Amino acid sequence: MATTAAGASEIPNARKAVDTAEDSREVVFSVRHLWKVFGPKADKIPDDSSVTELSAQELREQTGCTAAVRDVSFDVHKGEVFVVMGLSGSGKSTLVRCLTRLIEPTSGDLEMDGEDVRAMDRGALRDLRRRRAAMVFQHFGLLPHRTVVDNVAYGLEIQGVGKSERREKATEMVDKVGLAGLEKRRPGQLSGGQQQRVGLARALAVDPEVLLFDEPFSALDPLIRRDMQEEVVRLHREEGRTMVFITHDLAEALRVGDRIALMRDGQIVQLGTPEEIVGSPADDYVRDFVRDVPREQVLTVRRAMRPAEDGEAEQGPALGPDTLISDAIEAVARSGGAARVVDDGRCLGIVDHACLLKVVARIDQPQHGEVAA
Amino acid sequence: MSVFGTPPISQRYLDTAKPAPVQLLLHRRGLAKLLLLAVAAAVIVPLLQAKYGAAWPSSLTVDVSGPLGRTSDWIIDNRDSHPLFVYFLGHLSNAVVISVRGVYLLLLALGWTGVTAGVTLIAWRVAGVRIAATALISFVVSGLLGMWVPTMQTLALMVVAVAASVLVGALLGLAAGLSDRLFRLLRPVLDTMQVLPAFAYLLPVVLVFGIGVPAALLATVIYAAPPMARLTALGLRGADPGVLEAVASLGATGRQRLLTARLPLARKELLLGVNQTIMMALSMVVIASMIGAAGLGDRVYQALASVDVGAALAAAVPIVLLAIVMDRTTAAAGERLGADTPATGPKWQRGWPVWAGVAAVTAVLALVGRLSGSLVWPGAWSLDIARPVNDFKEWMVDHLYSGVPVVGGTADWAAHFTDWVLNPLRDGLTALPWYGTLLIVAALAWLIGTWRTALTAVLAMAAIGVLGVWKPSMNTLSQVLAALAVTLVIGFGVGILAAGSKRFEAILRPVLDVMQTMPQFVYLIPVVALFAVGRAPAAAAAVVYALPAVIRITTQGLRQVEPAAVESARSLGATRWQILRQVQLPLARPALLLAVNQGVVLVLAVVIIGGLVGGGALGYDVVTGLATGDLALGLVAGVAIVCLGLMLDRVTQPTERRTTGKGA
Repeated sequence: MATTAAGASEIPNARKAVDTAEDSREVVFSVRHLWKVFGPKADKIPDDSSVTELSAQELREQTGCTAAVRDVSFDVHKGEVFVVMGLSGSGKSTLVRCLTRLIEPTSGDLEMDGEDVRAMDRGALRDLRRRRAAMVFQHFGLLPHRTVVDNVAYGLEIQGVGKSERREKATEMVDKVGLAGLEKRRPGQLSGGQQQRVGLARALAVDPEVLLFDEPFSALDPLIRRDMQEEVVRLHREEGRTMVFITHDLAEALRVGDRIALMRDGQIVQLGTPEEIVGSPADDYVRDFVRDVPREQVLTVRRAMRPAEDGEAEQGPALGPDTLISDAIEAVARSGGAARVVDDGRCLGIVDHACLLKVVARIDQPQHGEVAA
Repeated sequence: MSVFGTPPISQRYLDTAKPAPVQLLLHRRGLAKLLLLAVAAAVIVPLLQAKYGAAWPSSLTVDVSGPLGRTSDWIIDNRDSHPLFVYFLGHLSNAVVISVRGVYLLLLALGWTGVTAGVTLIAWRVAGVRIAATALISFVVSGLLGMWVPTMQTLALMVVAVAASVLVGALLGLAAGLSDRLFRLLRPVLDTMQVLPAFAYLLPVVLVFGIGVPAALLATVIYAAPPMARLTALGLRGADPGVLEAVASLGATGRQRLLTARLPLARKELLLGVNQTIMMALSMVVIASMIGAAGLGDRVYQALASVDVGAALAAAVPIVLLAIVMDRTTAAAGERLGADTPATGPKWQRGWPVWAGVAAVTAVLALVGRLSGSLVWPGAWSLDIARPVNDFKEWMVDHLYSGVPVVGGTADWAAHFTDWVLNPLRDGLTALPWYGTLLIVAALAWLIGTWRTALTAVLAMAAIGVLGVWKPSMNTLSQVLAALAVTLVIGFGVGILAAGSKRFEAILRPVLDVMQTMPQFVYLIPVVALFAVGRAPAAAAAVVYALPAVIRITTQGLRQVEPAAVESARSLGATRWQILRQVQLPLARPALLLAVNQGVVLVLAVVIIGGLVGGGALGYDVVTGLATGDLALGLVAGVAIVCLGLMLDRVTQPTERRTTGKGA
């Protein structure tokens, strides 16, 4: 598991209280029953019920095909950071490429802002890639013969934007990602982190509706990776742009994601907020995956509290329901007694030493199937 | 194939540690292949022997000289009247003549001052001060040697030939780079063209165009365009897929992708292609003097015909200098443009103002030359090296050729090599039953490569028999094998030494650089000086020509052996010899096989050209065919050369296709 104590200590404090309002928000990407099968007669696989239930290995043995994406459905809402997480070979990179048809999906429905992406002709698709969805790649994909500013301006150049205008915009983006002064360098003269900033600036320069990240920071050193993650979090806070973020790093997923889809063998095994993934793993695979996550830094007191007993609802420090366990531990330790969980002046419950310790010690596993959407 | 059983590799066998290729030849699958062939041979050979006998059967020979002669006559008769010639080939030929003439006149009009200044300044801009100095010295030396006019003739041919080759090659490469089907179609053709000796191209163009500048130029283009096409296609295909995907993700159209990403990403390969094309073109322009190209090559050719070593050397020196200047300039341009870092230097040194300055200075100097009335290099400033060189050669003939105490003399060596190596080998090959030869070819090709390469090799060999040139081909083959053996012994030896010693390699490198730059033709001159004429000098020239590539590949192969493997062997206490024998050589096997393959191809090229200096056999047939107008004889020999080249390449072709180009 990639998470370490040091890595997780930076998980942002502000766990967004968006879960309840989710369904009312605008949908950017709507994916339904999406398949991507590689191999001979790939298009027959998704409709053939005799093979769709097979495991990846059985499928390969029986048909010679590999299903990289299997019957995947999800919505990406406007303004959220939607993380797709999985180990290598789980199909996550294929999935994100299907969104702009860099890889042609085999079957299923794919809509962006209500438009059928799979039905688009070349011109419409090109327009989608040029203006609506820009991608940041693991290995940067920069043009080695161009300067930083020309790389950043490349997307605009493709669109036919005039030279001075695109230069101006590109310079602005270079500043925005913190590379001011390096405009005239070539990618080969930059460090990995700087190159990825160029990749990010190039994606931002076309002012896309959605940013797609394909394991953008996997090739970077751990410290640089942290910087870049914070950069993404900062950009998201400032601009509120919708992001689809692919990663194999759980700590990264927890750090940047509003919602996480956990993939395995081409299928989504669980989709939910970081708290849901960590607090209520859908199966043993997910449980195994999140085992080393410092739970007190992901879970909130909502999950730890118990009902208030007589008189308890009136005393002790008050905490919001979205307070992290780690913060609650501090509050409880300082006051020496139990703390109240208060929402809108109403006491929801009580957290004391015992309930907080139970969460940290992992003996709070909920018995009810409180699994995500 | 498992039915033949797989005996375990015995410990004894491992301990004897034969050289790497043999060791791996004999592993299990090799044995199975051999067994299969032996069974097949046991059935077929008695039948063939009973039916045809040991010499190539005349009933299996097709006499093509009649039809070829008629074709040749027909072409000569119809060259002025048939629409194909009048409306297509005629125009082509005129265009060639006009453009070569135009460039030549331009060079003459610039005068020696203008040309020297122009070339020097261009070399300075593109490649820096040192190469500019080399260029300046080279042109001055050409003038001093009295070779100004032939140099300009060669230069004019080169300009047109390189422009045409690069254009044709780039277009073909572009097509093959963009279309998978075309790539699959073109690649084997281009790969094969790269292994064929230059001589093979001469006859077909002469058949169509007759002797003259158009034939020379087209032969050059056919010879020099393949590397450009090959490298363009490979460069376009080798583009980083991550970059191309990023470009696609931004919504680039196919055209935008080609112009802004694929072509710029392939610029290194494109420039390498230009470099290789230039070197091959120079090599061919010189050889094409046999079919009507004027210039330096013609001077060498004439001088060699009368064994005038001094005159040959005077013409060869400018060829070598020209080759070095062109190679270094284009290589430096490639490095500079291929670099991922921007050009440095003051602003005035970049962009069009500099080029305008270069043009202006050239024009001024050309004008100065013109006004002072010396367009062609002034005759007073010349240096006659032919006579002293010839005197020196006479001295060598008297003192070094024979009778030197203890070591003997160069002519003695040549005679011994002929008597003790070439003759027995030739006689042995000729005496070997033809089916035996075919079987050996099949076995070798199959062991080293695949059944496909074996089949091609056998068919090529059989074609030689069918054409009725079995005997001369065996003669040529004997020279190739003898020269190859010498090349490999020296090449592997020097290569191993160079891989072991950084200092030795540093000394060797510039020597190899120069040797690899020189056109094949030039190698004939020193060997004629040393060994007179005959088959031994031809073989010697082949050895010298092929050595640099073999040494290079061996050294690189040994150097690239996984350092961890060497380190672990050393940590176990292996001696240097043990490391070499048991770790480095086996691990460098692919490189060694590649060295053999390249060695064969290069040796064959020069053995054939050796026909000019008494090498005899196929090369001589081509020369005679050209000289006497007996195109049928020359064409048959040319086809046999192609077949021999194909056979030798396929026999030594490792399963994986080589990736390096042939060089100059």
